[in-house]
Amino acid sequence: MPLELFRRGLGDHRRALVGWGLGVIGYAALVASIFPSIKGAADFKKLVQQYPDALKSLFGLAEGGDITSGAGYMDAELFSLILPLLVLVLAIGSGARTFAGEEDRGLLELRLSYPVRRRDAVLSKGAAVAAEILVVCACGLAALVVLNEAVGLDLSFWRIVAALGGVAALALFFGWLALAIGAAISSRMLAVGIPAALAAAAYLVGGLHQLAGWLDPLRFLSPFWLVGSTPLQKGIDGWGTLAVVAAASVALLLGSALVERRDLETP
Amino acid sequence: MAAVTATPAIDTRGLGKTYASGVEALSGLDLRVEQGEIFGYLGPNGAGKSTTIRLLVDLIRPTEGRASVLGLDTRRQSVEVRRRVGYVPGDLRLFDAMTAREQLDSLARLRGYVDSSLRDQLCERFRAVLDRPIRQLSKGNRQKVGIIQAFMHRPELVVLDEPTAGLDPLLQAEVRVLLRETADDGRAVFLSSHSLDEVQHVADRVGIIRGGRLIDVDAVHTLRERALRHVTIVFADPSDASAFRPPERVRTDAVEGSVLRLSAPESAMDALVKAAAVRRLVDFVSRPADLEEIFLDLYEEADDAA
Repeated sequence: MPLELFRRGLGDHRRALVGWGLGVIGYAALVASIFPSIKGAADFKKLVQQYPDALKSLFGLAEGGDITSGAGYMDAELFSLILPLLVLVLAIGSGARTFAGEEDRGLLELRLSYPVRRRDAVLSKGAAVAAEILVVCACGLAALVVLNEAVGLDLSFWRIVAALGGVAALALFFGWLALAIGAAISSRMLAVGIPAALAAAAYLVGGLHQLAGWLDPLRFLSPFWLVGSTPLQKGIDGWGTLAVVAAASVALLLGSALVERRDLETP
Repeated sequence: MAAVTATPAIDTRGLGKTYASGVEALSGLDLRVEQGEIFGYLGPNGAGKSTTIRLLVDLIRPTEGRASVLGLDTRRQSVEVRRRVGYVPGDLRLFDAMTAREQLDSLARLRGYVDSSLRDQLCERFRAVLDRPIRQLSKGNRQKVGIIQAFMHRPELVVLDEPTAGLDPLLQAEVRVLLRETADDGRAVFLSSHSLDEVQHVADRVGIIRGGRLIDVDAVHTLRERALRHVTIVFADPSDASAFRPPERVRTDAVEGSVLRLSAPESAMDALVKAAAVRRLVDFVSRPADLEEIFLDLYEEADDAA
């Protein structure tokens, strides 16, 4: 596998990556800093319990979740939407930019005229996308481990690791999907658009399937449902997460096979 | 020129490309380029030059026929082909934020093998600006990076798509010297251009392509021989100019008083000079047509044939 394409893939995004990492740390710190005023507040707990089920479900508070506990609070404020959203935006953007985007800009023309298999180029770039996701999730992990002590969130270390692992798996799926679509059909627009639309749909299916009966059979197709939306309260679904990572790998392999079959476009 | 029995640097058989959009960019190309040869590939914009070149390095795939480079199939052995070939794209794009040095280092790592002393020597020779970001470089200075990267691994075949666009005349000359050295070293050069002038001083043979079809392949000196001479005769007596009967295959272009303008192939020059010499002459000027005109003639022939 051409290591140089991996290095470049990561190197070209390093500034953006620092920004995303700091953003995740900052947001986690902001959310956690508010927690002491909510901790154990019975009134607030009652208020949230009166929320419509749809909202509670989307916020990872269904089935007796407690927003005044550290785990419930961080699930609702961080892991049910914002953190996956942040990391997904990074992953989809990076996945689409690294192949379809570079092809659009004519940057692949020269490098793919070098002794590199296109298939391997896609895999190297997939590794770079995965590394970016890992870096940002590691920032989140470090932030939460520190905040857990500092604010007294009372979270289990392994639950934090699992929660960020779940986010990483989701991001990996949509990021590799974006890369694969760009590799297969050379359209940066679709490489961003399709995974973004699928992610939005999957998020809604994962959150609302219990309320809208017709969505229920579709829940198996939602990576969000497969991983689970209450990772700090209940942990993640190991098999489900594995299935998401497997699906991500299939997407990447498909993209790397399809890229061999087409013409490289010129800008 | 190298012996014809050696493995050709480029060998295409009925090579063609019709894009998904339905545009037939190249059709039925049969072309053989020998090792040790500089082949000029001439045609106007959109003639199929870049399509041919991108087929050779397997960036696009043929819809008919096949091509081999250095005896290797461009489809099945594309990685090996690209290992041994250097390529300068027609529209060179580099990473704007990197310096030329970083860019060349990155490409060297990607290639896996580079003769770094050769690279340094090329950088020196072209006076490449190495330590400023690509985005700050002029088109000519970017193009130098394109040329250096194509030569720095001592490829057996270099394929250049309009390489001297944006270079000043001194550097164009330097590139020509580099191409000649490469060919003298027994390696092959495939050079596309829309300008004959760029090619006629360096190429051994020239292929002319138009509308996706190869019209003609000739040695440069044969092309010149086929070229018409523009002859201007000034007679002492104006009536001689209008009365002059040109010999066979000589065309009268204009009569202006005592001045007669003619076009003649090289083979008719002797008869023309002798026919004119029986009159009293003031002046006799013969000027070879430049290749640009031959180029246009060939296009017209191809149009007439179509």
